[in-house]
Amino acid sequence: MPRDSIKYRTWKRFSRNRAALLGLLILVSLAILAIGAPWIAPYHYAEGDVRYNFAPPSREHWLGCDYMGRDIFSRLIYGTRVSLTIAFVSAITSFLIGISYGIVSGYFGGTVDNLMMRFVDIAWGFPTLLLIILMMVFFKSSFARVTPGTFAGTLSAIDRALGGMFFICIGIGLTAWLMIARLARGMTLAVRERDFVEASRACGATGIHIIRKHLLPNIIGPCIVQVTLQIPTFILYEAFLSFIGLGVDPPTPSWGMMINEGYIAMRSYIHVFLAPALALSITILAFNFVGDGLRDALDPRWQR
Amino acid sequence: MWSYIIRRFLLTIPVIFVVSSVTFLLMHAIPGGPFSEEKALPPEIIKNLEKKYHLDDPLWKQYIDYMWGFMRFDFGPSITYKTRTVNDILAQQWPPTAILGSISFFFAILVGVVLGVISAVHANTLIDYGCMTVAVIGVSMPNIVIGPLLIWIFALNLKWLPVARWGTPAHVVLPALTLSAPYIARFARFTRAAILEVLNEEYVRTARAKGLSERLTIIRHVLRNALIPVITVAGPAFAGIITGSMVVEQIFAIPGIGKYYVTSVNNRDYPVIMTFTLIFAFCIIMMNLLVDILYAIIDPRIRYT
Repeated sequence: MPRDSIKYRTWKRFSRNRAALLGLLILVSLAILAIGAPWIAPYHYAEGDVRYNFAPPSREHWLGCDYMGRDIFSRLIYGTRVSLTIAFVSAITSFLIGISYGIVSGYFGGTVDNLMMRFVDIAWGFPTLLLIILMMVFFKSSFARVTPGTFAGTLSAIDRALGGMFFICIGIGLTAWLMIARLARGMTLAVRERDFVEASRACGATGIHIIRKHLLPNIIGPCIVQVTLQIPTFILYEAFLSFIGLGVDPPTPSWGMMINEGYIAMRSYIHVFLAPALALSITILAFNFVGDGLRDALDPRWQR
Repeated sequence: MWSYIIRRFLLTIPVIFVVSSVTFLLMHAIPGGPFSEEKALPPEIIKNLEKKYHLDDPLWKQYIDYMWGFMRFDFGPSITYKTRTVNDILAQQWPPTAILGSISFFFAILVGVVLGVISAVHANTLIDYGCMTVAVIGVSMPNIVIGPLLIWIFALNLKWLPVARWGTPAHVVLPALTLSAPYIARFARFTRAAILEVLNEEYVRTARAKGLSERLTIIRHVLRNALIPVITVAGPAFAGIITGSMVVEQIFAIPGIGKYYVTSVNNRDYPVIMTFTLIFAFCIIMMNLLVDILYAIIDPRIRYT
């Protein structure tokens, strides 16, 4: 990387922020755990032993066992897969929808912009969590009995292969892009009037070229920051949906579901609750650190 | 100003229209109806039941009938609970949600702003680092973690407060804390940043130069200007708290509309789903409107035409 490039300077500022580096380290470790789960986890996540129901931490089961005698440590490791998948797939979905919507709206301006932004204003009033709950019930019961081979059958197969995560990601992605769209549109409006865009247009550049070469590079940074700052919310949605039983399908281990199971048994067996609660909090903390770090690195004015 | 308020008010009509039609379509698109769960009902009886609740009408007519009722505050019958109307259910379930939500909202603003001011005044000292560490942890601990943790500490072990349910003021404490904790943290961080920005302004230096005490400078000059950006966070925070109350009501078994909502979706109790969604949406819209108006009142530089 050349020393005077924006990327290099951003990385310099980011890496000077110790909290952000710590967050990045945690996320990288979580990603390694998620990918290597079958080799790292001592047991399979669905494998229970009735003799160990609610067993306290011991040498065989480092964090004890849950109500079905399943190893909590192994389930936590497999659970990183759910949280990280939700985080990244929802982030990418909402990022792609939001940024294309925002750029189109801002670039064309006028009536198009007006109509598109009124739609965003209207969708803004929607209580997100309620919409996601409705969508989840819709997906879960519509795709319960579909014929394989059709489009619906394929979607259902993907969802089953992912342990019920696919539809959660769609639900979150479809509701979370509004903020990105507003940001992308606002920045497009600002960049569109700059001289270099004018110059490019004077040279006969097409709309696609201007969007790709001039608009995108200038607005992508803040949009990435915005979506990173939203990721904790996505993880929370999944955890809450699994908490009330609308999330992933058992026995897929989701931290939200594990928190619910632990919460029910909390009076006598607090360890069943504490382990996934701590894992969830640390992951969200890491995403917050990285998001704040990115924001400060890209926009020095915001520095603390 | 007035024309702005009226225009914003009129804008809520299309919002309510879109929210209601999306909810209506989505909920009717869910397979199964309110009667599909019950066993061994002869088809004629199901037909009669559907006739009674007008579920055999075309969808657009059902929608118009519902919205017509909604405008007159007649939310229709509950299909699951044959003897109760949605108005009855609302009268019973709304107060806990409203009380919990408003207490948490004002508590979050109050404590958050105070913490933010303390942090900013003592910027880069141990007090500041302490407050901000707590705030970062608060932002990162979700409701489903804080709630059970508070129950475990204060209800199960110390036995100071009731574990769950609703009724006495003591029942409000833990759920309100759970609900407001992340927003206390958010307000604290935002207030601190806003104040630090304002502290560098010329008029603060002037205030100090003319010999105003530090306390008066902060209260009269800094806080007033720093609160403007803080108000913008209040709208999203309110929306977050009111939908977050669904989570907290589940954890603490509070008989509010959040807890009831999931049940009614599972039962396909159409009038209840519609009414609750619209009421949530209405609260959020009104709060955003209020925030925008407050914004204009506090900051004389902003003029809406």
